[in-house]
Amino acid sequence: MKERNNKIPFPEDNYTHNINRDNERKLDRRGFMKTLVGAAGVFAVSSLPWGAVAAKELMGLGEKEYPHKKIADLNNLPIGDAVEFKFPGEHDDAILIRLGEEKFVAYQNACTHLRCPVFWVKEQGEMVCPCHHGKFDVETGAPTAGPPRRPLPEIQVEVNQGAVYAVRVKRYEA
Amino acid sequence: MKRSYIGVLLLSAVLFLNIIFTQYMVHQYFYENYVNTLIFCGLNIVMFPIAFFLYKKTKKA
Ligand code: FES
Repeated sequence: MKERNNKIPFPEDNYTHNINRDNERKLDRRGFMKTLVGAAGVFAVSSLPWGAVAAKELMGLGEKEYPHKKIADLNNLPIGDAVEFKFPGEHDDAILIRLGEEKFVAYQNACTHLRCPVFWVKEQGEMVCPCHHGKFDVETGAPTAGPPRRPLPEIQVEVNQGAVYAVRVKRYEA
Repeated sequence: MKRSYIGVLLLSAVLFLNIIFTQYMVHQYFYENYVNTLIFCGLNIVMFPIAFFLYKKTKKA
C-alpha cells in the first residue's frame, strides 16, 4: 500500500491505532468511522443467533411432541374446577380447567406479563393473575384485561380411559 | 485542511438503523413473528458490508 506511513516513529495519537501509550488518545474522524464500522460488525454478528433460533422455530423443530402426561382422573375433577400440573418440563406450571362434561382447556399458567402464576376464578369465570390483575379468557387464553398483551400458551389435552392427559403445547399465532 | 464529514454522518445513520433493526428483531422474536425476525436479522447483517463500503469510500474525503 502506497499511502502507508512507514516513517518511524510517526505520530500516532488517535484512538484506534495509537502506539505510544503515554500519549493522550484522540478520537479523530477516521478512528471514529472505524469504530462505527466495528459496531456494525458487532451488530451483524450478534444478530446471527436470533436469526438461527427463529429459523429453527420456523422449520418446526420447536414443535416437539412431549411424552403424554396424565393430569387427573375424571372423577376427581368436577365441572368448573381446575387442577394445576407441570407440563412439559418439571418447572413449567400449567393449569387444567374442566368447563363441561367433555370440555377441557389447559394453559401454561405463567402470566405473559411477568410470569406470575395465573389461577382460575370459578365465580367470575375467568383466569386472573394476582400480581397486576391481568385477566385471561378461559376459552382461548387471550388476555382480556390488565398488563398482559399475549395469550397464554395452550396445552392440548386428551381424554383417555377416564383420565386427562397433556399431549403437546400449542403454538399460538400472535 | 477542510474535510468532509459526510462519511461520519452516513456511518452514524448505519448505526442508527442497526439499533432500530435489532430492537425490531428482538421484539418480533418474542412476539413469535419469526419471519420478521429473519428479515431484520438479514438487514442487520447486510448493514456491515454497507458500513465497510461507506468507510472505504469516505475515509479520504
Ligand atoms: S405478572 Fe400477571 S399481570 Fe403482571
